[in-house]
Amino acid sequence: MTYPPPPAAPPTPSGGGPVVYDPATLPSNDNVNPYAFSVDLDGQWFLQKGKMIAYYGRIDFHAIGHGPLDRLVAANFHSPLYAADWVVAQGRGKMLLADRSYDINSYDLADGNLTIRSGNLLAYQPGLALKQSIIPGFLTLIGTGKFVAASNGAVHFVEPPIRVDPQALVGWADCPSPCHHYDHSYMRGVLGGLRGLTGIGGASGEEHQFEFTGAGQVLLQSTEVLMGERGSGAVPAQAGPGVPGAGAGG
Amino acid sequence: MPFTRINSKMVEARIVPGQRMFSQRGAMLAYRGEVSFTPNITSGQGGVMSMIGRRLANEAAPLMTVEGDGSVMFGHGGHHIHAVDLSGETLYVEADRLLAFDGALRQGTMFMGSQGGVMGVIRGQATGQGLFTTTLQGKGSVAVMAHGGVVELPITPRRPVHVDPQAYVAHRGDVRNKLTTALGWREMVGRGSGEGFQLELSGQGTVYVQASEEKL
Repeated sequence: MTYPPPPAAPPTPSGGGPVVYDPATLPSNDNVNPYAFSVDLDGQWFLQKGKMIAYYGRIDFHAIGHGPLDRLVAANFHSPLYAADWVVAQGRGKMLLADRSYDINSYDLADGNLTIRSGNLLAYQPGLALKQSIIPGFLTLIGTGKFVAASNGAVHFVEPPIRVDPQALVGWADCPSPCHHYDHSYMRGVLGGLRGLTGIGGASGEEHQFEFTGAGQVLLQSTEVLMGERGSGAVPAQAGPGVPGAGAGG
Repeated sequence: MPFTRINSKMVEARIVPGQRMFSQRGAMLAYRGEVSFTPNITSGQGGVMSMIGRRLANEAAPLMTVEGDGSVMFGHGGHHIHAVDLSGETLYVEADRLLAFDGALRQGTMFMGSQGGVMGVIRGQATGQGLFTTTLQGKGSVAVMAHGGVVELPITPRRPVHVDPQAYVAHRGDVRNKLTTALGWREMVGRGSGEGFQLELSGQGTVYVQASEEKL
């Protein structure tokens, strides 16, 4: 897996004000800033619902299983559990992706595999196939292509052997899936027994980690707080406050 | 052992057998090697008397002792982290801002009144920091949490620094701090500027300021 290159420098404004982009100057498959990513769409991309914030060009968004792209879907999307959360973006243009101002980055897989938390994956190219991992809550991407993931804080790559706080884990590539590691060493011995019986001293909060071995890469986020849960895409009438014409919800 | 900065919210520290480190509970993100994390009842070193002192001073943050042979990555709640390397001088910081620090540093609590007299006490009350702060002295490294990035401002005898008390993180060196007030009749009628209290730091040292007015 290749590490994402630093984002290209944006066009500097002459007046010293905010940067203004147009379809030609928006980055092509690169970060606009740490919290937004610009996809140069020419064909199809798989996308999680609710993660597109703006686009230029002619792009159609088809739900999985309900449109003319069923053959594409059959080859690249194998996750019945999450089918309701994903759409296919088809067309030509520049599409901006973001998720609640979490850090966003793109990664390339070359005949590789990656298992990632389902909430952290935003979009991927059809060269990759999406499957459900046997570990609940995780998706596996296999193949060659680019994908975009969000995380709470910047992503850091580490190599096994390593033990990771369960809430700081984003995903892993190539190495076997982790096992649980429990650490109650402070509860051993006479003093430990007293701690256990009386509860004095409390717990360290580090009693449980995921343990990785083998050869591969592990993706960590810079905090032990998971990204918030969020229901994916609602119909326009319930688009929420602040949306003109949203009917009863507006 | 100095902290290696991985990114603005994560640092890595090497744990060597024989040396220990204290960190906030739950602040470990990942580790290599064989490292043990033991919850610390005394919130640091010094034994029972120090623990009581810290509890009374409200400077008893929940800490854990990190020992073993390996390297540990620390981070907490997505807060920005700033690493400070001490070579003999004293760092003054609130206990709940400490992410991790070397076990070799001498930890103590300081009464605010001793640095600023009555105004020091009022400062503690006005800014919500309390009457005490934690001091760390010796040779070692400290990782401090802040809301937003941290700016280091040097304090020299001829150039004291004024800081908004809510943006103050920590200071080090031979520094006197004093709460100055810029209050007038307007504050009484609700039309104050909101910058009525300022912290004046003078002497020789450095003050760390965060890019936010929220505590953490």
